Amino acid sequence: MAALDELIEVSGGRTTRICLTIALVGVLAAGIWSLNWETLLNLHFGDLWRFRVAVLKGLGMTLTLTSAAAACGILAGTLLAIVMQSPVRPLRWFVVGYIELFRNTPILVQLIWIHFALPILTGVPTTAFVSGVIAIVLQASAYFSEIVRAGIQSVPPGYREASDALGIPVHTRWMRVILPPAFRTMIPPLVNMTISFLKTSAILTVLSVGELMTVATRISNATFRPIEILTVVAAVYFFFGWLISRLTGRIEAATARRETR
Amino acid sequence: MTFDVNVLPTHFPELIDGLLLTLRICLLSMAFGAFGALFLCLGKLSGRGSGYHVSVFVIDFFRTIPEVVLIFWIYSCLPLLFGARLSAEVCGIMALSLLVAANVAEIMRAGVQSTDQGQLEAAMSLGVPAHTIWLRIVIPPALQRMAPAFVNFMTELIKATSLLSTIGVAEMVYQANVLGNRTFAYVEFLTLVATIFFAIIFPLSLFVRHAEARLAHQKSR
Repeated sequence: MAALDELIEVSGGRTTRICLTIALVGVLAAGIWSLNWETLLNLHFGDLWRFRVAVLKGLGMTLTLTSAAAACGILAGTLLAIVMQSPVRPLRWFVVGYIELFRNTPILVQLIWIHFALPILTGVPTTAFVSGVIAIVLQASAYFSEIVRAGIQSVPPGYREASDALGIPVHTRWMRVILPPAFRTMIPPLVNMTISFLKTSAILTVLSVGELMTVATRISNATFRPIEILTVVAAVYFFFGWLISRLTGRIEAATARRETR
Repeated sequence: MTFDVNVLPTHFPELIDGLLLTLRICLLSMAFGAFGALFLCLGKLSGRGSGYHVSVFVIDFFRTIPEVVLIFWIYSCLPLLFGARLSAEVCGIMALSLLVAANVAEIMRAGVQSTDQGQLEAAMSLGVPAHTIWLRIVIPPALQRMAPAFVNFMTELIKATSLLSTIGVAEMVYQANVLGNRTFAYVEFLTLVATIFFAIIFPLSLFVRHAEARLAHQKSR
């Protein structure tokens, strides 16, 4: 964006930078001035070392939930997206209703509903973990199917027409003609969605599923020191979100290289 | 199981209170957040210097950490760190404002940076004054492109307010829990709350769909 950068420089980029720096220094000064130094100097991050096993277990649970949401979500989402293309109208309406239902209500409400109402409806009691997984997978399938649908729509109609004209069977048409190029365009949104399910997994803390946030709340309740553990946990979440987005940069570059060959 | 709808009408006032609180929190955090977003967006667009690096980090950080962690952090750490008393509602509004600031800043930046390169170059080479370029060439189409992303984020924000029930802000989900505890009609109240959320968010996501389709149509022409 050379032209835009030039425009920004012409319309006072330097002044903006100076003003922003001054504002930053002001905010920092005000923050430092109003800090409660007594609390700050009494922070002991080293004390958290004895909770390392619990935190690692929580992290493992968080990553399990995230990968379950991403894997099942992509799989079920692809199926839903394919059903959306079907010529049978009631089937399409059903899928659209399902997707809209799960996209337009908060996951917290779905979670509580699934945990408390589903056992009453079905008569099968579920543990907190099972309810959590059901909720996160249902929501993931709805969100991922939207991405897959957009990906399928980005495939030029000529592909489908050509495969129809060649008499390629439906199964082969999806697996070898339409889905591969669709998935390549979908990598960035899929990764963003995976990061957003890393965030969603923290919401399962309301059922005490045992993921990272549950562990953090327990530790902070046991030690009466919320600052240390919550800060560390926030940093851990940030690190993993950053890691996932970094990995995709690589995947994208690799697929781009394969394309050009 | 029994699904007794008759318990609902007697408790409408509490639910309406919850709904109003949800909407108020949304509006306030949107207003504060938009203000912060403006600074973050300026910082990110300025391209280099300390403002740029701090903006990039702040945007990435608050977009990556889970909302729940942010809410709990602010609720349990800020009062200790600053030695101030903050109500749960204020903490919630702060957390959501940060969320709005980071996300809206990114939406605004994307909108500005997707300006048509050719139009920009043409205007610059014709010697159009900088403020006219901003007002006539950069901002109007940027706003149009931002609209779907912005409304989409709004739906996320409305859904995120439900998380404030975990720190005891008396919004809709919290009220549903309280009323459920009182009347044992958990499923009824939860279903009603889910329906209310759906009724608010569904029109917004329909708008997003239409706006996106319109933009795609424009682009293909």
